[in-house]
Amino acid sequence: MKALATILEPGLQTTVQDAGRPGFRHLGVPHSGAADILSYTFANAAAGAPPNAGALECAIMGPTLKFECDAIIAIAGADMTPLLNGAPIVSYAPVSVKKNDILELGNAARGARAYIAFQKGVSGEAFLDSISTYTPASIGGHQGRALRENDVIFSAELNHGKPVETPPSLRIAFSQDFILRATEGPEAEAFTPEALNHFFTNPFGAGSRGNRMGLQLNSSTNTLTHSIKIMSSAVFPGTVQCPPDGAPFLLLSDAQTLGGYPRIAQVINADLPLTGQLKQGDRVWFHRVDAQTGLEISLQRQDLIQIVSSDFCFF
Amino acid sequence: MNKSPSTKIAAFGENGWIIYFSETDNLLAQALYTNAITKKLRVIPGIIDAVAGADSIVARFSPAHLNSAEAKRAVEQTIDKTPFNDAPTPTKQINIPVCYGGEHGPDVKNICKQNNMTEQTLIDLHAAGRYRVMAVGFAPGFAYMGPLDDRLIMPRLTTPRPSLPAGSVGVAGGFTGVYSLPSPGGWRIIGRTPMPLFQAGGAEPFVFEPGIEVRFTPISASAFNAYGTSSA
Repeated sequence: MKALATILEPGLQTTVQDAGRPGFRHLGVPHSGAADILSYTFANAAAGAPPNAGALECAIMGPTLKFECDAIIAIAGADMTPLLNGAPIVSYAPVSVKKNDILELGNAARGARAYIAFQKGVSGEAFLDSISTYTPASIGGHQGRALRENDVIFSAELNHGKPVETPPSLRIAFSQDFILRATEGPEAEAFTPEALNHFFTNPFGAGSRGNRMGLQLNSSTNTLTHSIKIMSSAVFPGTVQCPPDGAPFLLLSDAQTLGGYPRIAQVINADLPLTGQLKQGDRVWFHRVDAQTGLEISLQRQDLIQIVSSDFCFF
Repeated sequence: MNKSPSTKIAAFGENGWIIYFSETDNLLAQALYTNAITKKLRVIPGIIDAVAGADSIVARFSPAHLNSAEAKRAVEQTIDKTPFNDAPTPTKQINIPVCYGGEHGPDVKNICKQNNMTEQTLIDLHAAGRYRVMAVGFAPGFAYMGPLDDRLIMPRLTTPRPSLPAGSVGVAGGFTGVYSLPSPGGWRIIGRTPMPLFQAGGAEPFVFEPGIEVRFTPISASAFNAYGTSSA
């Protein structure tokens, strides 16, 4: 195997991710994969990597790495002010690096996750056809865990294509305010109409309890406390669960497969990538759409993304 | 006899349907029924996920292959074609060794106190059960098993423990289960098994499937520590 880079500083949580492990929820296996599938796709496309190639997902505080060979890379997602040998480099476009070059990513001022893609892909341990890292079960990626200092990542030596830069209008416009379009969840009607309207019209703060499984949301009012009981039922990335204490939980790509709390909302696929960019202190609104509208929005968005990555699919 | 529970269907997200099944006193039969349905759904082109819960199933579809109405029809037809068997027989049986109580079972004392029984009674009751896997999910290798003896039925902890070691054996409501991975958890923990229940690198990573029979066998702390060190 060909060494690609050595991790000099790991950052907060840098993991190998691909497009995920869909279709195994009945076995208790979460989807995993890039928390922001859009920026991941843009990074791979800009590097000329195949659509499902392994890339590095960098959360909140990026890593520093030293290249062990010449390579073509591309960065997308949250702006972590990437520096190559101390000089700023562009994102959403291919960048040539040489052996012994140093790439340094800093803190994300806006958004939460950046992606570093490599033209020939990063290799990782495969489980159920995916190399995405799922740390709770120690599967995928680099020994099933986040990267550490002195880890060496290897090239997957995939056949690559031509780099495609991301038009600025397609990129996520990062701010600290997020609007997520969502359909009413299966238990939405179990809440009072006032509580439900409040949920869909007022902002929540992204809380401190957050990881790739989910993010706790805070509200200044406590209108969502309830005593609704349900039997364990399927949940997905984008499901908003409401524990009895009234602080909702937004599930992300590593979400468990079954949950026992009422589901008040389901974020539409088109806005799911944004959920992977929320960090503590950001504000988030849930905007109510019906299922048909949600599907139309997602299909239109998918159509646009296919300009950059022709195989891209939200479903 | 063999009468299917009634159903109600509703949209879940922009590309999913949730089907609720009416309450039944035969949870095992219902669990196997919903699992049989989801198994058939998963091989239908365009169905990308079919997950059974305790009293519901959720099926998600790919709009490139099925529109919403077609997906709904496929789900309804699959339910209609799946027989409900109210006396299902187990497909296989597995035996899980458990070291009960002590450091491995931090909730044994509070359950015994609450239900006015000795630790030995609790162990005997739990190990006497002939459990069936009702549902698989939550995490890789986790299974919901029942029925549980009435005297062991306890609510979840009001505040979940932040971390539990893999192999922790717990009870919650009418179910017993084993935490297959280290994780936070709100079930009451009565013991721990040294047997791995999820092995990503193994030939068969998943031990459980719905319907199989599970028995628990008490083992000593020294047997727990020695597990896997012999050639067996």
